[in-house]
Amino acid sequence: MKKSIYILLFALVFSACDKGFEELNVNPTKPVQVDLSNKLTAAQKFLSSERYDNWRAGLIYQSTMMQHFSTTAGYWAGDKYTWNKGYASSLIDRYYGNVIKSVEDMLVQLDEEAAPEEMKAITRIVRVIAYARVTDLYGDVPYTEAGQAFISASLLPKYDAQSAIYADLLKELEESANALGTGISAFGDADVMYQGDQAKWKRLANSLMLRLGFRLIKVDPTASQEWVTKAIAGGVMESNEDILFLRHDADNKNGNGEVFSADGSPRLSDTFVNFLAGDPRLPILGARRSDGDTSPANLIGLPNGLDSAMLLDLTGEEDSENYAEPNRAIITGETAPMFFQTYAEVEFMLAEAGVRWGLAGDSEAHYNAGVTAAMKMLSLYGDAAIIDDADISTYLTNNPYDAGNAIEQINTQYWIATFLNEYETFSNWRRSGFPVLTPVNYPGNVTNGTIPRRLTYSESEQSSNPENYAAALAAQGPDELTTRVWWDKE
Amino acid sequence: MNRKINYFLTVVALLFMQSMLAQSLTVSGTVTDSNGTPLPGVNVIEQGTSNGTSTDFDGNYSLNVSDGNAVVSFSYLGFSTQDVAINGQSTISVSLEEDAEMLGEVVVTALGIRKETKALGYSLTQVDGEELSTIKVPNAINSLQGKIAGVNITQNATGAGGSSRVVIRGASSLTGNNQPLYVVDGIPIGNDNNGSAGLWGGNDGGDGISSINPDDIESISVLKGGAASALYGSRASGGVIIVTTKSGKGQDGFGVEISSSVTFDAVDTSLQDFQTEYGQGIQGRKPVNVTEARDNGLSSWGARLDGSNVVQWDGVDRSYSYTGSNADKFYRTGTTLINSVALTSGSENLSYRLSATDLSNEDIMPNSGLNRKSFSLNSSAVLADKLTTSVNVKYIIEKANNRPRLSDAPGNANFTVMNLPANLDVTDMDPGANEDGTERTYSANIYSQNPYFAAYNFRNEDVKNRIIASTSLRYDITDWLYLTGRVGLDNSTIRRTSVEPFGTAYKPLGGISEQDRRYNQVDADLILGVDKDLSDKFSIATFVGINSNHIKFENLNLGGNDFIVAGLEDIGNTVSQSRGHEYGERKIGSVYGSFELSYDRWAYVTFTGRNDWFSTLSAPGKTTPNNDFYPSVNASLVLSEALEMPSFVDFLKLRGGYSEVAGGAQDAYQLSLTYEIFGNPIQGQPLGRVNGNTVPNSNLIPFSKKEVEIGLDARFFKNRLAVDFAYYKNNTTNDIVDVATSVFSGYGGAKANIGEIENKGVELLLSGTPIKTEDFTWNSSFNISKNTGTVLATNETDSDVNLDEPRSRNIRVTHIVGEAYGTLVGVSYERDASGTIVYEIDGEGVPRAVEGERKILGEGVPPITLGFTNSFRYKNFNLNFLIDGKFGGQVFSGTNTLLYGNGLHKATLEGRENGLTVTGIDAATGSSFTTTVAPENLSTYYGEIADIAEEFVSDSDYIKFRQLSLGYSLPSRLLENSFLKDVSLSLIASNLFYISRSVDNIDPESAYNAGNSQGLEYFGLPSSKSYGLNVNVKF
Repeated sequence: MKKSIYILLFALVFSACDKGFEELNVNPTKPVQVDLSNKLTAAQKFLSSERYDNWRAGLIYQSTMMQHFSTTAGYWAGDKYTWNKGYASSLIDRYYGNVIKSVEDMLVQLDEEAAPEEMKAITRIVRVIAYARVTDLYGDVPYTEAGQAFISASLLPKYDAQSAIYADLLKELEESANALGTGISAFGDADVMYQGDQAKWKRLANSLMLRLGFRLIKVDPTASQEWVTKAIAGGVMESNEDILFLRHDADNKNGNGEVFSADGSPRLSDTFVNFLAGDPRLPILGARRSDGDTSPANLIGLPNGLDSAMLLDLTGEEDSENYAEPNRAIITGETAPMFFQTYAEVEFMLAEAGVRWGLAGDSEAHYNAGVTAAMKMLSLYGDAAIIDDADISTYLTNNPYDAGNAIEQINTQYWIATFLNEYETFSNWRRSGFPVLTPVNYPGNVTNGTIPRRLTYSESEQSSNPENYAAALAAQGPDELTTRVWWDKE
Repeated sequence: MNRKINYFLTVVALLFMQSMLAQSLTVSGTVTDSNGTPLPGVNVIEQGTSNGTSTDFDGNYSLNVSDGNAVVSFSYLGFSTQDVAINGQSTISVSLEEDAEMLGEVVVTALGIRKETKALGYSLTQVDGEELSTIKVPNAINSLQGKIAGVNITQNATGAGGSSRVVIRGASSLTGNNQPLYVVDGIPIGNDNNGSAGLWGGNDGGDGISSINPDDIESISVLKGGAASALYGSRASGGVIIVTTKSGKGQDGFGVEISSSVTFDAVDTSLQDFQTEYGQGIQGRKPVNVTEARDNGLSSWGARLDGSNVVQWDGVDRSYSYTGSNADKFYRTGTTLINSVALTSGSENLSYRLSATDLSNEDIMPNSGLNRKSFSLNSSAVLADKLTTSVNVKYIIEKANNRPRLSDAPGNANFTVMNLPANLDVTDMDPGANEDGTERTYSANIYSQNPYFAAYNFRNEDVKNRIIASTSLRYDITDWLYLTGRVGLDNSTIRRTSVEPFGTAYKPLGGISEQDRRYNQVDADLILGVDKDLSDKFSIATFVGINSNHIKFENLNLGGNDFIVAGLEDIGNTVSQSRGHEYGERKIGSVYGSFELSYDRWAYVTFTGRNDWFSTLSAPGKTTPNNDFYPSVNASLVLSEALEMPSFVDFLKLRGGYSEVAGGAQDAYQLSLTYEIFGNPIQGQPLGRVNGNTVPNSNLIPFSKKEVEIGLDARFFKNRLAVDFAYYKNNTTNDIVDVATSVFSGYGGAKANIGEIENKGVELLLSGTPIKTEDFTWNSSFNISKNTGTVLATNETDSDVNLDEPRSRNIRVTHIVGEAYGTLVGVSYERDASGTIVYEIDGEGVPRAVEGERKILGEGVPPITLGFTNSFRYKNFNLNFLIDGKFGGQVFSGTNTLLYGNGLHKATLEGRENGLTVTGIDAATGSSFTTTVAPENLSTYYGEIADIAEEFVSDSDYIKFRQLSLGYSLPSRLLENSFLKDVSLSLIASNLFYISRSVDNIDPESAYNAGNSQGLEYFGLPSSKSYGLNVNVKF
């Protein structure tokens, strides 16, 4: 009897040893799910990313390679075509964790919750923006298996060919555009880019299709024309009201702005300043480093590819204080907007579509509309950046559309209009070849004195994902700055 | 006739028995040793009968005897048997005299169970509290350094309130906690690290064990191996240290003990041997103006010191000559005052000890210190027949002011003080702030802090309130069956404020962080036990128990940046704010049991088993187990009792054990994915995302550690010589690691049970009494141990696991499969096939050493530790000293790296006058060259070498004269007629000097944190020597 009581007692104790443990192991400070709206807001915030990659991939590499910026600082590797692997891979290092992981997660939730199609379409477009930026910069990247370590236990995703990625991105845009109607999506104001305006998203989808369609021009001109035609037919951006940009604030800062707060070394490239001669944008974009003077006569661009000793030899200048830097009174703020695709770019592409294929009507009108939009949109930086209509007409009078040299002219304007969206600058320069930039040849550069054609993968891939990394190199070519991505056919 | 006689006898016998019953009586009392420590398990037998019992944990017994004339015999191994006639008394307490010939040492084992050492099948070392309270240090556990074979204690360069690192028999987890479980009076306490310095600096927030007041410690038992600690199951993977605090037991009546000590610490400048011949400047010349002086704030590449007037950082011309050791001038004499008073009282049914201690420390770092007030009450009482209870409460208030910043330069005074050129006097930088509160910078490099600004203007304060309380109840159901319950609590709150002030050069508007950390642990045990002699020869001791352990942790953070009103350091006075909330809760439920069988007091075997259930491994639908079983077996054979031994052998025991323990299921919420709302909203819209950067693993199980150990325990020559030897081998499998993921996966890592580590080693303890006379005794003890730890598996691809790197970023502590735990992997010299160093010759013709591949340069944890203690007693005087050492490890010196680059290292003197001849391989041509580096180019030459970690990895071997004490006790005859019972005083000194040391300029033990990345030195607090006086009075 006594024995059985003991046994019973112990059986009770035994079964009670993990009573309530499953409930206890639930984190009370973290939700098991959050609303799609909150995820969309975060994904959009992270499209403009952080100081980290805006500094490294954006400014240090691309802005200097594209000769918007220049500097004597040695660590600005893009100015001198040297190779800092950590800098080069910084977009990958931030985007996959911050944007792509989130968007993949949202797609699962959209399905689970059987969310309305337009919400799914908006999410898919955000996904396209992120992937297009990544594949344009690096070429073949993981796509079908990426960002899904939790969703599908895909810890070591394979790399997809850029050709396949592009086919899918364009298909995604087409389907998304078709799924979008009018009115406000259920995301509402959580959509901090378009406040849920479906019509704007639809025009964006077609505008992105226009952009990605043009990217194919060297590798597959037929497909390029087909997609451009389709995009125009679907309806692209119509005014600066349609610009895709993000308004930053003190808590969610513009990564470029944070760079300018921390790093005083970038100057405007003499290439850029020279192109802006007589352009009303020059005193808005640039100011003299030493005193903030914006009178165009005092704005001198710093040549690319110099260190301070070379600058001294070349000019007798002890430092670069007398050169123009990005205007700290207007465009370098931590709460400045960040642009992803603008109406001006769309107008320039329409102009090019007219030149190439006779699409979209009058190329000159599109060119003029593009320049006008590019100047007017600067007002988003604040009242100090408003350009008078008269100044715009003067500029257009002095720089009229030149049908004989239209492609170069249009794409050079595109290059100016995408200032500070260096990802787009670099991609459009590679696909169009304009403006014609003279490379530098700094001692010890790794590109044999040529402008890089891509940036390189994260070094960690060699140890953590070696097989897929090796396969990607076998398919695309060596993981170097000079290797061309698929659409960047010579 | 016979029948009649039989009948008669039967009647007589019955009558006699009747009278016996009528006169039977209960005797009870307490049995103690001569020090008053209660003795459990003492055999209490009525002489001439088989009627007997044994004392309980607290030395209490109760026995029914036949009549008032009975004689009770108290016997206990290791003590002389005492026979006491009860003479009708009902209470008999006795004090047994130790019998040196009998060797029955009793130690505290797992779950607080006292056992004779001879019954142990594993290695256990018990240290007397006196060893910790003679030479007192703020973190008492550091006093064990060098005293226990197999226990590797590292004191870090983190200041008086810093954490210590204790690793027993090698680290068993690649990235998890490797420190032991601390159990105080039967209750596990938290030993979480409350912040530590890393690559980018920071300070050490102290650990949990440092709260325990050395004056309150009765003894410390170190359960080194799994066989000793398996009863603690999953929490025993790092070994267990059991602290027993003093109680009132054994006190006869009321007593008072007062103890006071004062210790003075002085920075040990003898370690630093810098060049003092060349001053601040560049290219072999003095600074020509203030700008140049500030641009080269820490550059000692100037001219030979000549006493001329040269401008300095503040525009003042001063003599260009050596100004003396800046360390000596900047650091102050530290003082530690420890005062404690203890009241004890003991009576038959109630005993208690109440103590209060104040520890006031002023660290050698100016404006930095620690105050700890500890209150402790230990009481025990007999509530009723067979029912005893004890209540222990400790309350600790610990205030730390400006724990020194370490590692990287910002906010780190040590960095500047160590690097200042010989002609700069640090005291010229005092005060550190201008009148407007901004930093008085001495360098164009805003991250080089004015050390006085770092010490006096930076703020870092924390206050910890902690209660450790426990209560236990024991009921002796019969004389062989008992039931014990025990509940304990460890609760602490830390409130911390740290401020980078307005006016800091590198952060002009400053910032503030406020933190509130709470920790709560409740642990409860219920044990049912049996102690019984089955026959003359066989006896058993067995128990079963259940345990529940519940830990909650919470952390609230507020951060503010950019003060608005200068000088007001408050979170509300900042432009932007952030906040954070962390919470973690976990439970372990356990069932355990132990079964000990002994035969004839020379053969013992003990089986234990414990099953732990983990909340951290529980989730709905989880298919892998959330629990694990941890068995152990150990046996000992006392050959000296079983067999005939030569006369010089007093004692010989062989022992062996096997165990399985575990750990690693430390963190809650690792099994499933969660989300979070984070940051501040953008455009009023909240931000949501997946929480965390590690893929959760819903199938995690605890890691497992299996260990075998064998050992020998022998004493010879009438116990004048003792040998204790142990060999062990343990293997950790299924260690929880972060498996590397591709960056494209969206996650930084994934949790998996993959890591494997093996440790094997030997421990040897030799102790003896070379001289013993009535007036003079010399006791000597030497211990040495060697642990070889090898990483056997890391992750799926067995790639390297990266731990910390120092700010120089040219070396990293790394786990590599097949190598020692925590190897130092750093930049090496590029060499040709013959080993000659390859240089690039630059445009100026200066050979610049080429950075070669990163390779293994050493191992951070010294595998060999040794200690040598001697104590001499002559009449009332005693003299003790401890020498300890470590061998076989390496250390990377960040200090020497910077001293090289800055031209302050003595080695950089070579070539200053006439140039330095360098021979090497020219990287461009591959052929040999010899060139002379002009004095003005030496900074380039040495500066390149400063990037090469290989140059700055040295053996961390040392032998140190660690402790010395000289004590005197007043002879008892002087005290006979006073109220005083005992008066003793001692002069103490610690860290006196190195007998040998392999690395220059630094203390080989100067890691800047207590984590798994050992072997990195980077501008921690320099080590100091201490001298002091200790007075103890009892009345």
